[in-house]
Amino acid sequence: MKALTWTGVNQLAVADVPEPQILNDHDVILRIRRTTTCGSDLHLLSGYIPFMRAGDVIGHEFMGEIVEAGKAVENRRVGDRVVVASFVSCGGCWYCRNELYSLCDNGNPNPGITEGLWGQSVGGCLGYSHAVGGFAGSHAEYMRVPFADVGTFVVPDGVSDTRALFASDAASTAFTGVDLSGVQAGDTVAVWGAGAVGQMAARISAIVGAEQVFVIDRLPERLEQARTHAGAETIDYTRTDVAAELKERTGGRGPDVCIEAVGMEAHSPGPQGVYDQVKQQLRLQTDRPTAVREAVLACRKGGSVFVLGVFAAMVDKFPLGAVMNKGLTLRGAQVHGPRYIPRLLEWMERGELVTEHLATHVLPLEEGPRGYELFKEKKDGCVRAVFTPHGT
Amino acid sequence: MASLLSRAADAGGALLGRLQSVRLPGVGTASVKDDPATAARRWRAVTVLCDPDRLADPPAPLAALGGRIETRVTRAPGDKGTELAARYRGSASDAEIGELRAALREAKQLVEVGEVLRVEPQPHGPRAETPAGKALDGAAAAAPKEGVL
Repeated sequence: MKALTWTGVNQLAVADVPEPQILNDHDVILRIRRTTTCGSDLHLLSGYIPFMRAGDVIGHEFMGEIVEAGKAVENRRVGDRVVVASFVSCGGCWYCRNELYSLCDNGNPNPGITEGLWGQSVGGCLGYSHAVGGFAGSHAEYMRVPFADVGTFVVPDGVSDTRALFASDAASTAFTGVDLSGVQAGDTVAVWGAGAVGQMAARISAIVGAEQVFVIDRLPERLEQARTHAGAETIDYTRTDVAAELKERTGGRGPDVCIEAVGMEAHSPGPQGVYDQVKQQLRLQTDRPTAVREAVLACRKGGSVFVLGVFAAMVDKFPLGAVMNKGLTLRGAQVHGPRYIPRLLEWMERGELVTEHLATHVLPLEEGPRGYELFKEKKDGCVRAVFTPHGT
Repeated sequence: MASLLSRAADAGGALLGRLQSVRLPGVGTASVKDDPATAARRWRAVTVLCDPDRLADPPAPLAALGGRIETRVTRAPGDKGTELAARYRGSASDAEIGELRAALREAKQLVEVGEVLRVEPQPHGPRAETPAGKALDGAAAAAPKEGVL
């Protein structure tokens, strides 16, 4: 079958690879209908997560049709049209039973790598490096999905493939941040990043009752989408001082909740951005935490800051004093997909949550390298490239 | 030429693999500050979401280590399940401690989900023979036996 593979830093290629097979009794094999680029893929592509092997099939946000099921799969059948959680969760450990699915004890077959980095291993992630399991990804014609009863969700008939696709990771990641940061009715929420995750965080904040939502980015087409589809107020950080703007628009308080949806390759136009770029390139820090710093400093006293963008290891010049003295709650998490995907599908079915506008470029799998170039360089207004391995 | 490159890749991979096993203080293992004898005698433990009765007999991966190890089963606080701990009765090498880590992880998976998650064989494109690639292959192969457990 055809698959999009990582072949080296900033190199991708479509290759002929063997078809996947059932390896565990709880597996299913999926015929991929839609699979999309994610901002976190860019960290793999750029070599910031050095656990990729040439030939690895990438992709972790996807949906498709079940074509084969292992003998222990109870609640899914061949023919089901499903959207899939990007993290691998067993459903049987304490973390899964407490709906902390991305922290699953049993979903990462390579626990030694992340235990060394973080002190504990987290769950595995499909198509996202050998540090989180080394599973083949979704940019392929077919894919193996472990623990299918836990991580796959039947898409309601009224929800299109493209709408459902983003429940897999972007919307469920956003919901993780909105929920665990404690957004409440009447809150003011600021979201850094107007990519798919940031836009979804803004929209879901509004759905759960936030009264005022800001989205911060520099790309006009994404800010326009945030205004149009999420109902957010927007701030272009290249044209204004973000902290001052937020103070001015919130009566001097600052946002109640600040959600960072940018990650380790944050851009910044000032000297701070140059500083972070140099330190990252020299490997003196692994991540550029520009947006997290700004969120911590902008947040109101006693507010909540949520780190939703992907970070690998160490950052520099973190304003810990602000966290302590302002009494902030600082949290982060990878996506707890199975906890949120069912509610997302309900909202999608009712038309409260739409995502089709995120799929700015729908391409055949053969154009995978071009899709990633458009996505990485933000060319032609690309928000997300979506691949259709079997055509429409 | 190809053979020369292959030998260079092997040598580079072996060197990187060796470097990966170098212990840095406080990084990558729970007992890095211990002397080897103390580290070898530490209990290695997982918490399994089940009643203690379920672990009255050691699960198969631990049973396979036979009389070389002793085990301890304790109810975990806060309804978090049961703590399953094991250690070697005598001295143990790094390789043996790795076997014990893997056995504990497999035992936990068997009890909690009924099978051990596999990842190979699976689809992939051509694998270039590079030192970094070989080192990563080695790290992934060793990962079930490594970590802070």
